[in-house]
Amino acid sequence: MSTFTSRDIIHVDPSICKGCDHCTSVCPTRAIHGTIGEKHRIDHRKCVNCGQCLINCPFGAISDLSALDTLVQALNDPNKYVVIQVAPAVRVALGEEFGMQPGTNVKGKMFAALRQLGFDQVYDTEFAADLTIMEEGTELIHRIYNYAGVAGFEESGPLPQFTSCCPAWIKYAEDRYPHILPHISSAKSPQQMFGAIAKTYAAQKLDVDPAKMYSVSVMPCTAKKYECDRPEFIASGYKDVDVVITTRELANLIKQQGIDFRNLNDEEADRLIGSSTGAATIFGVTGGVMEAALRTAYELLSGKTLGKIEFKKVRGLKPIREATVEIPVKDLGVTVPVNVCIVHGLKHVNGIIEDVLAGRSKYHFIEVMNCPGGCINGGGQPIRHEMYA
Amino acid sequence: MNANAKVLKHSGQTRTMHWLHLIVCILLALTGIGFYWDINWINNLFGGPANASIVHRWSAVIFVLGPLLYILFNFERFSRFVDTISNFTKDDFGWIKTMGGYIPFIKVDEVPPQDKYNAGQKVLGGLIIIGCLLMIITGFPMWVWRGVVAPGFLAFCYNIHFWTSIILILLVLGHFFLAAIHPKSRVEFSAMMIDGYVDADITAEHNEKWYATLKEVE
Ligand code: SF4
Ligand code: SF4
Ligand code: SF4
Repeated sequence: MSTFTSRDIIHVDPSICKGCDHCTSVCPTRAIHGTIGEKHRIDHRKCVNCGQCLINCPFGAISDLSALDTLVQALNDPNKYVVIQVAPAVRVALGEEFGMQPGTNVKGKMFAALRQLGFDQVYDTEFAADLTIMEEGTELIHRIYNYAGVAGFEESGPLPQFTSCCPAWIKYAEDRYPHILPHISSAKSPQQMFGAIAKTYAAQKLDVDPAKMYSVSVMPCTAKKYECDRPEFIASGYKDVDVVITTRELANLIKQQGIDFRNLNDEEADRLIGSSTGAATIFGVTGGVMEAALRTAYELLSGKTLGKIEFKKVRGLKPIREATVEIPVKDLGVTVPVNVCIVHGLKHVNGIIEDVLAGRSKYHFIEVMNCPGGCINGGGQPIRHEMYA
Repeated sequence: MNANAKVLKHSGQTRTMHWLHLIVCILLALTGIGFYWDINWINNLFGGPANASIVHRWSAVIFVLGPLLYILFNFERFSRFVDTISNFTKDDFGWIKTMGGYIPFIKVDEVPPQDKYNAGQKVLGGLIIIGCLLMIITGFPMWVWRGVVAPGFLAFCYNIHFWTSIILILLVLGHFFLAAIHPKSRVEFSAMMIDGYVDADITAEHNEKWYATLKEVE
């Protein structure tokens, strides 16, 4: 089975490709064909649009589909009300494109630049990430109740629950392991939650016709471009997120418009509802979603705050970490051990999925992120030119 | 030594080594140029770019192993070669100034006496050794570590490999012109390509210092 993609996101330019074959080693799904010396090509049925090949191509031969022109048109269109959301991992990478140290948090300058670019409302995705975490945490509780045979939760899905915020992982599961889908959380990713809220709740609050609202998202991720085009994401009757641009594209736009980014004064994001809990700031790194959702579930079930979770590496398999959290469930009067697991890199998830499908998995909650180290190293982030791996 | 006497300049092993290097160098240059610039007819000579790359890489193995074996079995001869080419004297600088009298528009009264290899050959030998080492050092990660090294490092290796190859190709073309085409210098052609011998009187003229040491031994 293969998912339907309306547009292919990632492309190799054969006139630039040197056939060095580096990209095949970073592709998590073996979607790139070609041997050393040969022009490489992407099999889009297998590609999950993660962009890892793009940021790792030594010759810049790989690019992603860009909607920057459409966005500039929307910004210049007086009939469009353009709102933008920025993901947590963008603010710590954008500065690199302006010669700042990697990791510098340029949140304030970024919001200022977005206003100068002409966006009508400038939001932080962090707030929607909180919603995703609440959803995932609550869903986990329901699945645990269902597993424990508590009446009223029969409709909840099976355990273990997989996270759902990485669109590369979702496409991979759909393509390779359709039977695992009931295990994946039904929560929308923060990007899509935000998009849906923007064109429903925010549109109403701002008194803007959703038909005129143009919703943009800045992501560290190329797979999010694919996610926003999925046909199910039309909460208001219009596309929840109209276009996604990457951290790199935002930097290009700022440069194109001649904004002196380094000397901008810090500004704050516009507020949609209240403020963020800050739980989502760790969304950009692996283990971030898992930890935040687990904390939420813990608090809801026990009424207490969860201490530090000690994850340990699973022997032999480096990018897999696991932990056990004992949750005292107030309502049931028992303490339930919840085994959690974090996997980054789709290459390493197959064994875990096969264990789940065969009924021998010990885990209850599994976070899967495609990119090494999480979204902070996503395919939409600035391209580094370090000489060491 | 009479007027028709000959001197043995290059041993059988040296000549075999030179032939082997010549053939693999042509293969390496052709395949490299073919897939670097997407020249289809060259790639198709080898059955497409993927196969051209296989030919390139295995030729490179011969390119490394050939000289390595030669050096192991002829260590003394190789040391003497390195000794000669690294010994750059006033006469060698004099040769460079006059370009050995091979260039028509450089007026030359007298070319200073030369060793077994003239200053041009010494420079060429040195540059070829350095160039080959650079090709090997950069080619190895490009092939074997292509999946594990950082993209920036891989691009760096490709750049060094590319520019070194351009310099080597130009040097070899210059060498080919002097050794096989230029009427004054091609007199030694058969010494490397066929039987190893050069006429004694030519040696006496072109490699006076070396000839003198041969005379002493005699
Ligand atoms: S990494 Fe880039 S240049 Fe190398 S084979 Fe892949 S697309 Fe071509
Ligand atoms: S985008 Fe990701 S899945 Fe697609 S070819 Fe590149 S590395 Fe492979
Ligand atoms: S890990 Fe993050 S950046 Fe990478 S594909 Fe998934 S959502 Fe995108």
